[in-house]
Amino acid sequence: MNKDTITFSRPDENTLGVVVGNARRAMTTTARRLGRAASTHRASLGTAFLGLGAAIIVGLRAVYGAIWFASQWGAYPEPFAALAAWIVFAAVLTGAIVMSRVRSDRLPDWMFGLFLAGIVTAIALDVIAVWSLHDIGRYATAALTAGMALLVLVALRGSVEILTASAVLGVGLAVVIFLDAPLGAEASDSAWIATQITAIAGAVLPPVIGVIIIEGFRRMVQIELDRVLVQSTVSAPRFAVGMLASEELARLDLAAEELLDAVANKKTNLPLTPKNASVAAQLATELRLHLIEGRRETWLYHAISESEQLGKSVTLSDKSSLAGLLDATQRDGLLSAAWLLVADVPSAASRRRSTSRTLNLQIGPVLPGTPNVPEHKISIPVTMTSTGVRRNRVDSGVWDAIGRIGRYSDSTQDASLRVDIDCIVDNPADI
Amino acid sequence: MDLISRERDRLLQRSARAYGLTFTAVSALCFALPGAVSFRVLLLGIPFYVLVVAAQVAIGLSRSIWWPLLALAGGNGIVLVVALLDAPPGPAAWLAILNLGAASLASVSLVLTTSPIRIALLTLGGIATVATVVVAEISSPAQALRSAGTVLVGWGLAALITVWISAGVPQVAKRIASIGRAHRAERQASELEAQRRQSARLLHDTVLASLTLLAHSGVGVKPDALRQQAAEDAKLLRQLRLGTVPIPQPAAGGTADGSPASNPNPDDTVLGTTLESVKQRFGRMGLKVSWHGTGQVLLPSDVLDAFLLALAECLENVRRHSGVTEAHVTITDDAKMVRALVTDAGVGFDITDIEATKLGFAESVVGRLREVGGNARLFSSPGSGTTVALEVPRA
Repeated sequence: MNKDTITFSRPDENTLGVVVGNARRAMTTTARRLGRAASTHRASLGTAFLGLGAAIIVGLRAVYGAIWFASQWGAYPEPFAALAAWIVFAAVLTGAIVMSRVRSDRLPDWMFGLFLAGIVTAIALDVIAVWSLHDIGRYATAALTAGMALLVLVALRGSVEILTASAVLGVGLAVVIFLDAPLGAEASDSAWIATQITAIAGAVLPPVIGVIIIEGFRRMVQIELDRVLVQSTVSAPRFAVGMLASEELARLDLAAEELLDAVANKKTNLPLTPKNASVAAQLATELRLHLIEGRRETWLYHAISESEQLGKSVTLSDKSSLAGLLDATQRDGLLSAAWLLVADVPSAASRRRSTSRTLNLQIGPVLPGTPNVPEHKISIPVTMTSTGVRRNRVDSGVWDAIGRIGRYSDSTQDASLRVDIDCIVDNPADI
Repeated sequence: MDLISRERDRLLQRSARAYGLTFTAVSALCFALPGAVSFRVLLLGIPFYVLVVAAQVAIGLSRSIWWPLLALAGGNGIVLVVALLDAPPGPAAWLAILNLGAASLASVSLVLTTSPIRIALLTLGGIATVATVVVAEISSPAQALRSAGTVLVGWGLAALITVWISAGVPQVAKRIASIGRAHRAERQASELEAQRRQSARLLHDTVLASLTLLAHSGVGVKPDALRQQAAEDAKLLRQLRLGTVPIPQPAAGGTADGSPASNPNPDDTVLGTTLESVKQRFGRMGLKVSWHGTGQVLLPSDVLDAFLLALAECLENVRRHSGVTEAHVTITDDAKMVRALVTDAGVGFDITDIEATKLGFAESVVGRLREVGGNARLFSSPGSGTTVALEVPRA
């Protein structure tokens, strides 16, 4: 450490978000940071298995194509070009499948390039083999199977890359077929056109559908991960610090220790330079805020602010931090209900109408004199107000989940669903 | 139904929609080619195609079993129209039928595997589609057989895709659950660690006091005293980092009273010991603190912490704002409460001038005391010093 300099890097964010109003933003940044760290890992979760399925399908298609090729050997003007195409294609496909087994996350760029080059070569050779027959859609075998082979890489490369490659291959095939079209009346023959359309569709559509399935699968994994990570708040104490709060505190403590150590060991001159003094002041302020404000938030606040899904559309008003009193079953029910109401079917149709779903959770205030409350218990009113969901479209799972929180009654008003829940919890004054 | 099954169903529904719609489009394209089918078949076929498209769009949005049923009905309707009015189909119509039967209609099997009724419908749908395709080409048995084979392969492929995706979901769910368990452990560890550090309040109090001094460049304090204070605080922080919760002790010659050995309840700490360390700290910073009253009060550690923190905060205010170098602290106790009066003969101020939101008093003093069931009151006026009355419950 240089003399007279104190290294204390200003933190990017304040995990506690003690500045009122910034809390939400600060916490979601933290959650996002957590998510980023795991994102490379996340993206490949489970997709390797789907990739294996895709490889099997391509393999079956290749066997079918090869049999078809062998059966019409005699019809080929250039059978050896077609054979060469099949050999190139088989090599590329085998290599791709082996590589997809070896590295289950991502194929390096140069291998992807090599794969595409191999496929283009196979297509070119096969097209040469059947060129003089003027009916590529009917006679080409390796070329059409090669187009579909992109499916093998669907889990190993980005969706955009696969779609682009597929589109380019499709357009290329169409152009080649058009150039090879027979002269005269046959070109407008519906049978010929239908054959070419079906051939191109068979080569291009499987990778496209594969991308759609893989994207859906990744989305499903993301949602489930988000839910499971947030689920851990169910067992949190009544008041909790968010994830990383201890890390922040440790970081501040360490910075303070280094600063004090520097002063004690005369590495830093006294009186301090204005710059170092302001570092000390900032450190003191942050440390104070962390110590004072650290546990004013309940598990529910942390759950909502850490979740990508809930954070977007749930607003919470819980002035007295009553959510902390809920037991694990009730918390689980509340979280599941919120989850189902918000994450359920954000359909394309509702997105077009821009009626995104929102959920408002109002917890408390406790009203005195609520009837039918057992001894040593109090009743907390929980009100869920949801917009963008019709009463009859609410999943039955929502009512199961709400039932776990307490007795409830629901009403619908102006396209918003309101559920009043009577949540019976242990009276904290009796403990 | 658990949430991941719901997500899986949604995934399968959307995949079925994409799968179905793309091949319906290919089939419709072949069907609509000039000369593919006769004009009346074209006219009759279009509404059926619209029906198939509508049903396949709906499959993506709704779990209802009626949509795949409707798609199957519409698709088989097209094949039957061709079979009844245009048999035998020309090559283009034949490809339209194959694209429809082997791919577009087969896509419904993605949403027909989750219950016995659905599987029954899947089987019936497959058989019906094969049957209508065979009927359409009955005039040429060899071709009919080949088409039937293609349709069967198409349905088998779609079923294989469904089974494969469905098998992948529990695997990934298991891994996600284990990630969740790890995360829960991490959250608990984080919570515990934060708790440990936060509960080291006395330590942080002296650290904060030193930092505050440094923030004012250490002006007004003897450099040696400040260095000594900094060294002690750095040592305490190091201990905290290495895993213990150190309690600041009076530097030298501290009172032996109330050492842990003679303490009947390990959770309770004698006030006097720690008061002495507070006194020494402020002494180093140039504020002479005089104690009056009892020092032998046992308090639960959290109450003691809050009490001492509030006290130190008051003394810090005296040091900074009062303009005098001496403060008096009087400790009294009765059966229920322990009280402290912090008085100085400084400049004083108008109480209405201090903002309620100012972190100093409201948060650090009143807030901390209320957390443990205590309270604080402030008396002052310009020119006549300041008195703060703090009280906390004994139990």
